[in-house]
Amino acid sequence: MWFVFLSSGSALLQTFTEEQMKRYEAFRRSGFTKSKLKKVVAKIVENQKVSEEINIVVSALAKMFVGDLVETARVVMTEWQHTGPIRPCHIKEAYRRLKLEGKTFKRTVPPLFR
Amino acid sequence: MQNPSPSPSPATATGAPTNPTTTTGATTNKGKAPASAAQHSSAEASLKRKRGFFQKDLQHMMYGFGDDANPLPETVALVEDIVVEYITDLVYKAQNVASKRGKLLTEDFLYLIRKDLPKFNRCKELLSMNEELKQARKAFDVSEENLATANDQV
Repeated sequence: MWFVFLSSGSALLQTFTEEQMKRYEAFRRSGFTKSKLKKVVAKIVENQKVSEEINIVVSALAKMFVGDLVETARVVMTEWQHTGPIRPCHIKEAYRRLKLEGKTFKRTVPPLFR
Repeated sequence: MQNPSPSPSPATATGAPTNPTTTTGATTNKGKAPASAAQHSSAEASLKRKRGFFQKDLQHMMYGFGDDANPLPETVALVEDIVVEYITDLVYKAQNVASKRGKLLTEDFLYLIRKDLPKFNRCKELLSMNEELKQARKAFDVSEENLATANDQV
């Protein structure tokens, strides 16, 4: 899993189909609306003002986490030989795997004995 | 998307039991001290207002990362719940790291994410770009000021 930006002169970009170009554009331009994310973070922090830098970091981490979820879900779909749009069951399985990999933050102590 | 020939899948690949994970967005914090329960319930209260809060943002994002051009609404809703929980846990933990110092800083987040190199590097990159922009804006403001005073003196 990578987070690669191609420079506009890149030879690879020139080989993109229209569909690939659209998807790449969505990948580059998508993001959490600044004001909305600020509200969410402010709710959690409560007593402090949230700096712009913190919003930058949280926004980046959340976006990359979505990337983890979606890409892992696609891997799951390949394993289960499913096609079409991603379904909640794929996301659930992806989330389960990410948790095992330690890519999430658990607030509760994980069960030591199962 | 094309499906390549199936790789030798481990036993868990065939419909692994879906854990009763948070699909409604409510975190199950069992046996937590009462002090944090208040904070937990306020986080829960804010979560309840979140129906489709990030829907449009997430639709574009999921498409960009590999989903269909029109992701399923129920999938987007689930991703939203999971991401909001991720953000909540992340910020909550960062606060704990920062609590000795008092103020929440980006260093706290960088510490938490230190083992996830792509995320760590991306954050560093964005923060340094932001710093450059701030410096550039400062320099611009200073030169604007100099121009203004210079014109006044003419």
